[in-house]
Amino acid sequence: MQERMIPRHDKGGIFIHWFNAVCWITLTLTGLGLINEHWNPLGGWYPNLMRSLFGSPEMLLTVHMYLGLFWASVMIIYVLVRFRESLAFLKEIFSIRPARDMIWMVKKNIQMTMGEKMLKKLGMTPDIPPQGFYNAGQKLFAQVTVIAALVLIVTGVTMFLSTMVLNNPTPVAWSRTIHYLFAGLALAGLLVHIYMAAISREERPAFKSMLTGTVPESYARHHHELWYQQVKDRI
Amino acid sequence: MKKKYAMVVDSSVCIDCKACMVSCKVQHSLPRGHWRNWIKEMRPDFSLGKYTYGHFQPGNCMHCENPTCVHACPSGATYKDEETGIVQINEDFCIGCGNCIVACPYFARYRHPVRRVPDKCDYCQDRLAMGLQPACVDTCPTKARVFGDLNDPESEAAFLLRTRDTVKITTSPEDTKPNMYYLASTEPMDWPGEVKYPAAHSTMTGLVNPLFKIAVGLSGLAVAAMLIRQIFSGSESSEQEEKKEEA
Repeated sequence: MQERMIPRHDKGGIFIHWFNAVCWITLTLTGLGLINEHWNPLGGWYPNLMRSLFGSPEMLLTVHMYLGLFWASVMIIYVLVRFRESLAFLKEIFSIRPARDMIWMVKKNIQMTMGEKMLKKLGMTPDIPPQGFYNAGQKLFAQVTVIAALVLIVTGVTMFLSTMVLNNPTPVAWSRTIHYLFAGLALAGLLVHIYMAAISREERPAFKSMLTGTVPESYARHHHELWYQQVKDRI
Repeated sequence: MKKKYAMVVDSSVCIDCKACMVSCKVQHSLPRGHWRNWIKEMRPDFSLGKYTYGHFQPGNCMHCENPTCVHACPSGATYKDEETGIVQINEDFCIGCGNCIVACPYFARYRHPVRRVPDKCDYCQDRLAMGLQPACVDTCPTKARVFGDLNDPESEAAFLLRTRDTVKITTSPEDTKPNMYYLASTEPMDWPGEVKYPAAHSTMTGLVNPLFKIAVGLSGLAVAAMLIRQIFSGSESSEQEEKKEEA
C-alpha cells in the first residue's frame, strides 16, 4: 500500500541545503589544511597532503578564500531573496522549549549511543517527548550552524582583507583563532548530522526528503508529532 | 648535504659606518623607515675616564634554531627552510596576522606598510643563488660580518667557530638558539625583548585547539557508538520501532 506523503522541504530549501553541504564540507577540508602542521589536530600529514594536492600552500589558501566568499555571497543572496522563509526558519530553530528539549536531549542521546536498556538502567522511562518541525537535536545543530556561519563570514572577510587594506593586524590574528573555533564547533555537529542522514537507518526518510521534499506520514507522526498534528489536516 | 647558514661577526672591528644597512636597504628596496638589519651601539661609561670606550654591534635576523616567530605562525607561512636553515616567509600564503612580528624577541621583523606581510632578512637568497655573499657581508669595509655554511668545515664561518671563542645574544624565558655568533665578546647584550606570544596565538594553541580536538573527538565517538549499535542490534531496534508504531 502506498503511504501518504507529507511535503516537508521546498525546492529552494533543498537547493540551499545541498549547496551549503558541498561548500561547507569542502571548506572544512581545505581549511584544516591551512592550520600549522606543527599542531594540526589531524597531525602534520594532513596539511602536507592538502598542500601538495592543490599544488602549493598559497593555492590551497586561494581556493579556500574564494570558495568561502562565493559560499557567503550565495547564502546572503538566498536569505535576502527568500527573506520571509528564512525568518520563519530562524524563528523555528530558535524557539526553544527548555523542559521538553532538555529531556529529549538527555534521553535521545543515551538511547542512540547506549541503547534503550541503558535508559531503563538509569531509571528513565523510554518515552521521548514529542517534537515539532525540528527535534531538539536538529534545532541545536541549526543554531550552531547559523551562529557559526555569521562568525565565519565576518572573521573570514577580515582575514581576506588583511593584506589588502588592514593596517592593524591584531583583529586578523583574533579572526584566525575565532574562525578555527567556530569551524570546529560546526564540524562536531556536522559529524552527527552526516551520520544521521547518510548512515542511520531510522532517519533514512529524512535523508530522502532532502531529495524529494516529502516524508511518509508514519515518519512525520513518529518523529515530528507536534508538526504532524499541525499539518495533517491541511493536506 | 643540508646547509646551515650562519653569521659570525667580529663586532670589535665595526666602525658604525652603516654601509651594511644601506646596501641591504638598496638591495631589497625597503620601505622608508624600515630596516632588515641594524648596528646597535653601547652607551659609553664616561666614569671610566681615559679608559672610556665604545662598541658597535652589527646584527640582523639570527635565523634561530628555535624560531619563536615560526612557532607563532598559525599556518606555516613563515618557516625554517630545512635545506638551508634560512627562516623565510611565503608571502602569498601569509594572511598578515602579525603574530610572528610580536614573537621575535630581536625585533627582526616588521609589517611591510604596502604589502602588509612581515618582512625580514633572508640572507639575500637571490644573491646566494648567484654565488654571491649577502649584500651586507659583501659591502662591509672592515669585514666585520662573516657569512657561511656551518656544515661545511672549509667555510670561514665554520673555521672561526672552531678556533675562536664566541658569544650569542640569548633570550628569555625561551632560548631561541640563534645562529648569529659574536667573536670574543660584544656589547650591548641586554637589548632583546622577552619572548612572548600574542594572546590570539596562545588562545589558539592553548585553548581553541584542545577544545577542537575534544568537541570533534566526542562527536566522532558518539557517531561510532551509534554506528556499532546499528550494526550489532540494528534488526532489534527496528523491530522496536515497528512495535512502537503499532502502539
